[in-house]
Amino acid sequence: MTEFLKGNYELKVDIEEKKEDAEASATDEFERKALSRLGGSICFVSKKGFLWTGDGDAAQS
Amino acid sequence: MELGRRIASRLHDATFDRIAQVGLANAATHRPHIRRSVLELAKLPLGAGDAALVVAAGPSLHRRRSLERLAARGFPGTIVAVDSALAACLRNGVVPHVVVTVDPHDRIVRWFGEPALAAPSADDYFRRQEMDPVHAADEMAANRAVVALVDRDGPRLRVAAATSAAPSVVSRCRAAGMELFWWNPMYDDYERPDSVSRELHRENGLPCLNGGGNVGTASWVLAHAVLGKRRVGIIGMDFGYPPDTPYEKTQYYPELRDMLGERFGEAFVHFENPVLGEKWFTDPAYCWFRDVFLEMAREARCETFNCTEGGVLFGPEIKTVTLEEFLDHG
Repeated sequence: MTEFLKGNYELKVDIEEKKEDAEASATDEFERKALSRLGGSICFVSKKGFLWTGDGDAAQS
Repeated sequence: MELGRRIASRLHDATFDRIAQVGLANAATHRPHIRRSVLELAKLPLGAGDAALVVAAGPSLHRRRSLERLAARGFPGTIVAVDSALAACLRNGVVPHVVVTVDPHDRIVRWFGEPALAAPSADDYFRRQEMDPVHAADEMAANRAVVALVDRDGPRLRVAAATSAAPSVVSRCRAAGMELFWWNPMYDDYERPDSVSRELHRENGLPCLNGGGNVGTASWVLAHAVLGKRRVGIIGMDFGYPPDTPYEKTQYYPELRDMLGERFGEAFVHFENPVLGEKWFTDPAYCWFRDVFLEMAREARCETFNCTEGGVLFGPEIKTVTLEEFLDHG
């Protein structure tokens, strides 16, 4: 949460991240790492054609 | 939605996480040595006519003896092979016009033969994989045979090498006398200002090819979008496993086991092949490759003929024919 919300003031109390949020975050991280072992050897970019040779060229097929 | 399909739906981002960092590092390593673009391949006389045959390395390549039949029948068009099918091609007297290599990981060099390999690998990848079964029987002897084949035919081969390819693969190709033609994998939307693909193209000037998740689909893209072929046949493009395959012998078994424990079997997705009437199955990665291929086939300016005679790749944009039908009329 702290990486997304920033203020220009100091709080007078400490706000701790909820345990459930921390666990969910850890689970997300685990899933992301696990999934990254299942991915392919090259990316797929949807709706971007087959070949891009630079600006000025439309994606070709 | 089935568990396998749910996992498959998340592999788009997972693939970027898996390969972008190492692929870009490999591109930086290769950059000083890049001489030719893959676009130059379109100007070379690589077979006659407007037909190409893409050779992938799925289990049907061996089950259906596709390469023996190809060698017996002959084919005047262009033959494009994935790296993992190269040795099988050469064993059967089929010298592809172009070999495609993409994967950024060093173990891929085995598909070209590792002259310095002194002992079987610690991991069982090559003994377990279904792409070239000879490695399962005797890993060391199989490697020696691949080294000899690739050394013999290397000077006749052109490699369409992604800049993501492992440096060990590129060194091996050069040592065997192969000619390298380079391209960038399309990593992301090149129209975004912070695009990795755009930055890579700015650095090395190479075209970016949309690879569809795997080297087989990338080879099919190369055949029609780079070489300009209008009728593209595919063999060994199963994206799945035959009915009698134990889960333990599938590509991503260790990863699924680690991820799902005893529930790993739920990740497999089952299909009935409508032509054969056989029940094949696929894992989340191959299921994603299948879905992507079908999406890409809808946009392609070529006719696609699946001559695999097995697997899970079928849909309205793909014609299913026997290999001989394609070779005779393709």
